[in-house]
Amino acid sequence: MKTFWEKLGRAAIRIIEDSSDTIVFAGRVFVRIFQRKTYSSAMREVLVNQIYFTSVQILPVFIIVSVFFGSLLIGIVFTMLRDLGLTEFIGHVLMGLIVTELSPFLTVLLITLRSASAINTEMAVMKVNRELKTLETFRIDIVDYLLAPRVLNGIISIVLLSSLFSIVLLISGILFAKLIFGMNITVYTNIVLNSTHFSDIVLMLFKCAIYGFFITLIPIRFGLRASHELTSIPIAVSRGMVNVFAAIVIIEVLSLLIKLY
Amino acid sequence: MTMSREYKVGLFISVTLFIIVITLLYLAISKGTFERIHTFTLSSRSGEGFTENMPVVFSGFNIGNVHTLELNKEGVVLIYIKVPDRHVKWIRSDSSFILYRPLIGSARIMVNTENLKSPPLDPRKIPEVLTVNDINDAIAKIEPVLDRVTEIAENIQVLTRNLSDPKGDFHRVLGNAEKITTNFASKKSLVEMAVSDPESVKALNESLKKLKDITYNIDRVLVKVDKMADKTDREIYGENGALPHLNIILKDIVTKLKKLDKTVDNINSISTDASEGMKDMHILRSDINDAVKSIDDVAKKLDAIIGSKKAPEFRVP
Repeated sequence: MKTFWEKLGRAAIRIIEDSSDTIVFAGRVFVRIFQRKTYSSAMREVLVNQIYFTSVQILPVFIIVSVFFGSLLIGIVFTMLRDLGLTEFIGHVLMGLIVTELSPFLTVLLITLRSASAINTEMAVMKVNRELKTLETFRIDIVDYLLAPRVLNGIISIVLLSSLFSIVLLISGILFAKLIFGMNITVYTNIVLNSTHFSDIVLMLFKCAIYGFFITLIPIRFGLRASHELTSIPIAVSRGMVNVFAAIVIIEVLSLLIKLY
Repeated sequence: MTMSREYKVGLFISVTLFIIVITLLYLAISKGTFERIHTFTLSSRSGEGFTENMPVVFSGFNIGNVHTLELNKEGVVLIYIKVPDRHVKWIRSDSSFILYRPLIGSARIMVNTENLKSPPLDPRKIPEVLTVNDINDAIAKIEPVLDRVTEIAENIQVLTRNLSDPKGDFHRVLGNAEKITTNFASKKSLVEMAVSDPESVKALNESLKKLKDITYNIDRVLVKVDKMADKTDREIYGENGALPHLNIILKDIVTKLKKLDKTVDNINSISTDASEGMKDMHILRSDINDAVKSIDDVAKKLDAIIGSKKAPEFRVP
C-alpha cells in the first residue's frame, strides 16, 4: 500500500517538475524570440532552412491535401446541414467550426507528424552525438542557434499554412454551396460575411501561434532530454510526440473555453 | 532557373501573407469596418431575449447588430443598435422593430419599413421593440390540442370505469350475450329460437323444400329456354341463317335501286326536253292561230265582196 502511494506521489512530483521545467524553458525561449541579438546571421540562416523544410517543401502536398480533405469535410458538413434542414446555419458552421477550429487542428496535426517528429529526433541525435556539447564548447548559444529559429519557424509555418488551409476551405465552399444548396457566390459570400467575426479570426491566428510554439518546443525539450546512448533516441521521440499531442488537445480545449466565455 | 532556398522561403512568406492580408482586407471592407456607423436607440419593457451582438435584420439580411443594453432610471431597457452607413437607408421614421425569438435558432431584431421614402429615423427618437415569440405561439397553439387530449383521456377513464363496474352496462351486455349463447346451445336452430313453436318450424321447413323443388323446375325450364334461344340464334344469325340471306337481298335491292335511280334521272331529263319542246309547240300553235285568223279575215272579206257585186271579180294576190 505504501509503495502505491509512494509511486503516485513520485509520479505527481515528476509531472509537476516536468511541467514547471517546460514552462520555464518555454519562458526562456519566448523571451529570446523578442531579443534583437537573437537574430544573428547564423540564426537567420537556420530559420530560413527550417521554414523551407517545414512549409515550402511540403507546400504542394499540403495544398493538394487541403483541397481534397477540405472539400470532403465541407461536402459532408453541408450535406448534413441540408438533411437536417439547418441551411441557415452554414455560415456559422463554416466559420465557427471548419475555418476557426478544424483547419488549425488539421494543419497542426500534419505539421506535427512531419516536422515535430523530425525536430525531436534531430535534437536527440545531436545530444547523443554530443554536438550540443561541442556547440557549448565553441560558446554558441544553443537557445539562439537551435531553439529560437525552430520555435519561430513553428509559429510562422502554422499561422501561414493554417490560414492557407482556411482560404482553400472557403473557396471550395463556394463550389459545394452551389452543388448542394444551389447557392450563388453572392449569397454564399453574404452568409460567410455575416458569420465572420474578427475576434474569431484573431483567436484562430493566436491559437495557431500557440500551437506552432508548443509543437516545436516540446519535441526540442524531449530531444534534449535524451542521454548519450543511442537507445534513448526512440524513447525521447515517443515521449516527445505523446506530449505534443497532449499539448494540442489542451490548447484546443483552452481555446474552446476562451470562446465560450 | 533554379531558385535559392532563401528566395523560395521569401516568396512563400510574401505570397501567403499577401493572400491573408487581401482576404482580411476584403472581410474588413465587406463588413463595413472602415464605414461610418450609425447608432439608434430602441426601448423595451423587458430585456428578456436581448443579447449583445444580436443581429438586426431587414428582409432577411443582416444590416447591423445590438451594441449594448442598458436599464434606464424608469426601468425601461434601452437597446443600442449599430448600423453601417450603407444599411442606414432601410431604417426610416415609420420603421417598426420586432424581437423575433424562433423555436430553433438565435433571436434577432427584425426591421419592417412600410414606406422607404419616409424620412430617416431620428437618432434621438426611441422606438419600442415588439416581441414575437415562437415558443409562446407554439404553446398557445398546443393548448387547445392538450385540452382535447385531456377530454379524450377523461372519456377513456369513464369507459374503463364502466368496463370494470360489475353492475355496469358492459357486464349487463356480457350477461345477455351469455344467455343468447346458452339459448343457441339448447335450441335446434335459430328459427326455433325466434318463433318458439316447433310446428311452425316444420311448416316453414316444408315450404322451403317446396320452394326448392319449384326453383329446380324453373332451372330446368330455363335450361330448355336457353337451348331454344341458342337454336333460334343459330337460325337467325348462323352462316345459313335468315339474317345473312336478308343481308344479301338487301344489298341486291340497293344495287338495283341505284340502277333505277339512273333511269329516273334519264326520264327526268327527257321530260325536261319534252317540256322545252312543248314551249316551241305553243309558239307554233299561236302562229297557226294567227294564220287561221288571217285566212278567216280574208274569207270574210271575200264573202263581203262576193255578196255586194254581180259579177264578182277579184284579184288574186
